[in-house]
Amino acid sequence: MRADKGTGLALRYVAAVAVTIVFLFPIYWLASISFKTPDEIFASPPAWWPEQIQFANYAVLFKDGDVVTIWNSLVIASVSTVCAMLLGTMCAYSIARFRTGGNLFSDWIISNRMIPPIVIVFPVFLLYVRLGWVDTYIGLIVLYTAFNLPYVIWMMRGYIQDIPLELEESALVDGCTRWQVFWKVVLPMARGGLFATAVFTFVFAWNEFIFALVLTRSEVTTFPVQVTHYFGGQSNFWAKIAAMSMLGTVPIFIAVALLQRFLVRGISLGAVKG
Amino acid sequence: MDRRKFLVSASALAGASAFGLPRMARADAAKTAVEAAKQYSGTEISIVWEAGLQSLDPLNFSGPMWEEQTGIKVKVIEVPTAEMFTKILQEHRAGTGAYDALNVIPAWMPDLVRAGALEPLDAMVDKYGYRDQLQTIAPVYRDNQMTVDGKIYGFPDDGDVFIMYYRKDVLSDPKIQAAFKEKHGYDLPVPPATWKEFDDVGSFISDFTDNKPYGATFFRDAPYAQFMFQERFRNEGGRFFDADTMKATINSDAGLKVFNDWLAENEWMPAGVQTWGFVENLAAFLKGDSAMTISWPPYGRWGAGYGTDEEALSWVPKSQIAGKVGYSMPPGGHPQLAAGFALSISASSKQKEAAYLFIQWLNSEETSLQRVQLPYALRDPFRDGHFESPEYKAKWPEAPEYLAALKAGAINGLLDLSLIQTDRYEEALRQGISRLWGGDDPQAILNDTAATWDGITDKIGVDKQKAAYTAWASKPNAYPS
Amino acid sequence: MVSGGGGSAVALAPGRLADRNFKYYMIFPAVLVILLIGLFPVIYTLIISFQNLTMMDEDTSFHGLMHYRALFEDARFWESLLHTFIFVAVALPAELLLGLAMAYLFLERLPGRQIFVALLVLPVVTSPIIAGATWRLLFDNQFGPINQILGWFAGEPVPIIWLVDPNFVYPAILIAEIWQWTPFMFLLLLAALSNVDKSQTEAAELDGASFLRTFRLIVLPAIWPVMAIAVLIRALDLFRLFDVVWALTRGGPGTSTETISIYAYVAGFQQFETSYTAAMAFVVIVILAVSITLVLRRLEIDR
Repeated sequence: MRADKGTGLALRYVAAVAVTIVFLFPIYWLASISFKTPDEIFASPPAWWPEQIQFANYAVLFKDGDVVTIWNSLVIASVSTVCAMLLGTMCAYSIARFRTGGNLFSDWIISNRMIPPIVIVFPVFLLYVRLGWVDTYIGLIVLYTAFNLPYVIWMMRGYIQDIPLELEESALVDGCTRWQVFWKVVLPMARGGLFATAVFTFVFAWNEFIFALVLTRSEVTTFPVQVTHYFGGQSNFWAKIAAMSMLGTVPIFIAVALLQRFLVRGISLGAVKG
Repeated sequence: MDRRKFLVSASALAGASAFGLPRMARADAAKTAVEAAKQYSGTEISIVWEAGLQSLDPLNFSGPMWEEQTGIKVKVIEVPTAEMFTKILQEHRAGTGAYDALNVIPAWMPDLVRAGALEPLDAMVDKYGYRDQLQTIAPVYRDNQMTVDGKIYGFPDDGDVFIMYYRKDVLSDPKIQAAFKEKHGYDLPVPPATWKEFDDVGSFISDFTDNKPYGATFFRDAPYAQFMFQERFRNEGGRFFDADTMKATINSDAGLKVFNDWLAENEWMPAGVQTWGFVENLAAFLKGDSAMTISWPPYGRWGAGYGTDEEALSWVPKSQIAGKVGYSMPPGGHPQLAAGFALSISASSKQKEAAYLFIQWLNSEETSLQRVQLPYALRDPFRDGHFESPEYKAKWPEAPEYLAALKAGAINGLLDLSLIQTDRYEEALRQGISRLWGGDDPQAILNDTAATWDGITDKIGVDKQKAAYTAWASKPNAYPS
Repeated sequence: MVSGGGGSAVALAPGRLADRNFKYYMIFPAVLVILLIGLFPVIYTLIISFQNLTMMDEDTSFHGLMHYRALFEDARFWESLLHTFIFVAVALPAELLLGLAMAYLFLERLPGRQIFVALLVLPVVTSPIIAGATWRLLFDNQFGPINQILGWFAGEPVPIIWLVDPNFVYPAILIAEIWQWTPFMFLLLLAALSNVDKSQTEAAELDGASFLRTFRLIVLPAIWPVMAIAVLIRALDLFRLFDVVWALTRGGPGTSTETISIYAYVAGFQQFETSYTAAMAFVVIVILAVSITLVLRRLEIDR
């Protein structure tokens, strides 16, 4: 019986390692290409690891100024996250505590997350032409804020509902205004939820492609769009594709690693309270 | 007229125009631009350039040089070829002024002009005395890639033409020659002049050498093959449309022959050649794995080993074939003037003057001669002076032959199809080619493509499109004469 | 699951007038932004779908249902819908089943489980366009490792041209898609399975119930709410599939992998058939609204 268990565990362990290798292999491959020399990239059969780690593929991105797209992504994703969190949490508080607008209103809010981007990208483009918002930070920031709002409202409503009411009530009795209650009592209590929701909001804005493809030109190109610029022309510039992808992906990996605790609730739209 | 006569007359023409014009005024175009541009020192202009290798010119050479001379910073916006037209039009719609100067593929120029996206340049050309130097651009580019409805909208800036490159050592190998004659009953032509000969020679070499090297390789990926189709289809006698009814006729026997020949050729070319683009094919040729290929002019330079020591070209395999490459017209004798670039100004630019001065300087005789000699760049000789440049001719032993081939290409070349909404016709053709590689029936694909073309034509208006086509087809370089 | 509004929320019932409006002040900015980017474009789409805007023309006169009629006859549109449904129909069950299998693998005690889970989630947070680009490198028939690996198993070189050969282009896209999103299913199902009452499953096993029977009668009802949400989220994401296909094939060869999102992009931004694209977008909205309503009603997971 015990031996059985031991073998079972060993088997499961082997399977777990195998599965993990399969899922990580593409990321490994991307990383390895970013360190390869041209000869290694265009070797057939392919070379499985670079002979030596060299950073030339990254250096050229810095030299040509392509890394500015990482900065653009950072600005757009950060500011839109802050905006979405602020507006969304306010709205979520109102819904959670006062049932503002009733069920219909919450349904309408979440239904907005279901609209495919492609459906609204064209009218948004035309709208932005009118407003002069194409290829500006504000354009993408407003857009990502709007796109993340339903998610933030939905998530924060759940987190706020988990907070006991008593504190707010006693704060009101102590003479705080509603706003002060929200700002000084509710927000600190919802810290964990705010943090977790913000990270997913950020990840969405950071990774988004189709809006950025249509609404950027040169000034605020984000890194996913920049990566696609390396396809085509005379060749696919694999070295640049890989290096730029790594620059844009590693920060997210780190953020998510720090956030394991909130991960499940975050990506399940709150369905699982991990 | 045979090729040699063409060459002679062309150089005579070039000589005449060089002598017929005041030298002083012309030599000043670059300088004039620099002087006038100094008032914009400290500003930044942007230029849309094809992503990748093309952009190395403004990034590493012309951009920094211009900034040093004028104090104007150049921001290079790299856009993949497939998105350039879209992006320029989108930008025109958006009107943000994000783009100042543009690289425009000449076949799109009429569309962009119709949409109002390009700035007419005549006034500035006169203001800065550039008309004379425009005249020394090789005639086929000057006459076909510069104006729309009589107004100047772009400066032809790239002598793109498909040249055939063949390995003299392989094709002239006595063993191969003898065995070929035995099999086919005629002398192996060096180089093949018809597609029949080409296929005989190519398949024979693959077979005889056991694919070391392959008889030929091509770029077959649809964006490239689309140009190859246009070229070969017309060399086989094909016409794109019925001139009376404006019905698409690419599903004619000529079209079918091209598709079927392609499929047959793939059998003796490397596995996976269907996905090859510019670089894959280049790598094979430079490594000596291919006895013949057809491509844009940079193959010739790099095949000769010119400039491949440059760091920017470190990803290009070192040439194993220097000194062994011959240059000629592709089979049929009429190469595609595939793509090419003209320099234009965006109508929504907020710095038209500075941007204009930059492109005049880029395009001027003096600067352009340096740019077409950049070892890592992809701009190819497009001025009479480039073909004759003693400096260029001294770059490698076969350079004079190379330049002569480019010049002949410019004379015999076939223009890319250019209509209203050309991009959509090309897109349909590209999709057809990718279906061909996917294994669909050639005739069915061509019929579908023709139907798609007819659909586009109907949507645009048959009469409107017919007028555009008639105007295009009446140009001397639209169809082989 | 998230429950409805808290029962005692009314305890905070407003007193003063300023208080009474407070809840509206709080939702106002968010609603404004959502209206601007969510509702306005939908209405605007509807309007221009009745006009005739193209690349060259700014024709805003009323053209009735012209574009809807054309759409109805547009084979490319219906094909792109079909392709989209194929992606949903294959990828969704595959991700669900694989995710479930992985969840079972990691359900019981396993040394270093936290680290495995942390690593396995990485594909999910990768930008889809980057994921597509990565798989394009992997699938390259000359310089990518996949043909090489297959060659080891086959014992001879495998010359599959993944992104051109119609027999392999769907598998290629699906592999990339399933790679990226199976961990999503895995993560959610692992969390759901962990919450299943162990004593019940053990009791069933002692009674000699088969694994499948236990799963169907005890486990499935317990994880159903989470699973339904996971499936819904993924179905909606798959329906709008764009990035991965864009990076891998751009809808090719021909238009054989073109999804509805890609066709709409091509029509709108490459061909500039503004009004036609608007009609297409509106049809997509209707399809989506109808199917979501139906699904939600069936699943009763509203809220």
